[in-house]
Amino acid sequence: MEHARHVFRVALVLGAVVAAVMVTRGFLVPKSYGMYGPYRYDNVVEQMNVRLPLHRGAAACGECHDDQAKKRAAGGHKNVSCEICHGPLGLHVKEDGSVEAPPVDRSYLLCARCHRKIDGRPARFPQVVLEQHVSGPLEGHACLGCHDPHSPKP
Amino acid sequence: MAPTSTTSLPVLQPEPATPTPPEYGRRQFLADVMRLSGGALVFIAGGTVADALAAVAEKPRGEAYSWDEHLYAYLIDTSKCIGCGSCVRACAAENKVPDGFYRTWIERYVIGMEQTHVDSPNGGKDGFGPVQVGFTATKSFFVPKMCNHCRATPCVQVCPVGASYRTKDGVVMVDAERCIGCAYCVQACPFGSRFISPVTHTAEKCTWCYHRVTKGLKPACVEVCPTGTRQFGDLKREDDPVRLAIARDRVEVLQGHLLTEPQCYYLHLDKEVR
Repeated sequence: MEHARHVFRVALVLGAVVAAVMVTRGFLVPKSYGMYGPYRYDNVVEQMNVRLPLHRGAAACGECHDDQAKKRAAGGHKNVSCEICHGPLGLHVKEDGSVEAPPVDRSYLLCARCHRKIDGRPARFPQVVLEQHVSGPLEGHACLGCHDPHSPKP
Repeated sequence: MAPTSTTSLPVLQPEPATPTPPEYGRRQFLADVMRLSGGALVFIAGGTVADALAAVAEKPRGEAYSWDEHLYAYLIDTSKCIGCGSCVRACAAENKVPDGFYRTWIERYVIGMEQTHVDSPNGGKDGFGPVQVGFTATKSFFVPKMCNHCRATPCVQVCPVGASYRTKDGVVMVDAERCIGCAYCVQACPFGSRFISPVTHTAEKCTWCYHRVTKGLKPACVEVCPTGTRQFGDLKREDDPVRLAIARDRVEVLQGHLLTEPQCYYLHLDKEVR
């Protein structure tokens, strides 16, 4: 009996240690951790609501800019989202309703991003060799002088 | 007559008197600790279970979105990409990606019979310019790249703090609150899709715009792609174009030999692309 008491004391101490670990763990491990796996489920909900979507699509732009939207939808740039050239709608019309002018890039560089003939582009995509298309220095020429970006003709 | 020695062995020491236990000794203390900790255990276990149950009960949490009904996949047709970089700019704006870091980027491959030249100036964010290579190029094309949202993802496996995970709808994400910025996952990813943000000092990566797709919108890169190179789909929808393409077309994944089961599928991928 005398020896059994020694074992009992060790068991007591071990139990206390295990309990202390459990208590500490209870405070440190987040509530939703482990609900679906070894991660915090709350973060999934946080990621869903991390911010309002900035890009809203051409239809949302058309709610105010009906004429431009119709023109674009009928022309060769019908698959080119407004937000490619003018930036996200969410930066133009802010959450609080204030309106900020969107970027309007009139330089040839904007058009060149897609239509300059360079290695890598698929051959069937309309491209121009800028040096042959215009005479003189490129900087002086704006494509917009001849081409309407909202309804371009070749 | 031999005297019978009935006397037992002399008692060398008297039977020790049981010491009177002190008012509050070690034994008492340990007993109390045991009782207390037992109570705390029950208290904590009870609390955790109740919280978990409550959380499950209100699972959608304000969103009319159920992740059981979706399983996302991504399809990239490299033969359509014109390298305009709209996706890279849209991604940076939508997700506030720091300059010089990319959640998605475009690579240009210029290939000859003997050599291959790959470039990606600023991740393709400003588009591509003319390129001079020192060999005779026979073909060239653009390849958009991003997180492949692998099913058997190495990045989640190496995370020591449970900050990286894959959701039930198939998106690999990082919990910035748990992430300690050790960058094991950055090294583990064979596609270079992750980086340590210089702003938050935690791992950051493509989330397939989880804040958009859970609201029924497309990821920003897919939204702006003018040529239909990038497509986002849901494998749990019978008539989904991406699902049909994966089922019927000859699709390829990046670094298939690593068996990470990428969920970004490629059409018309060249052997030179890694």
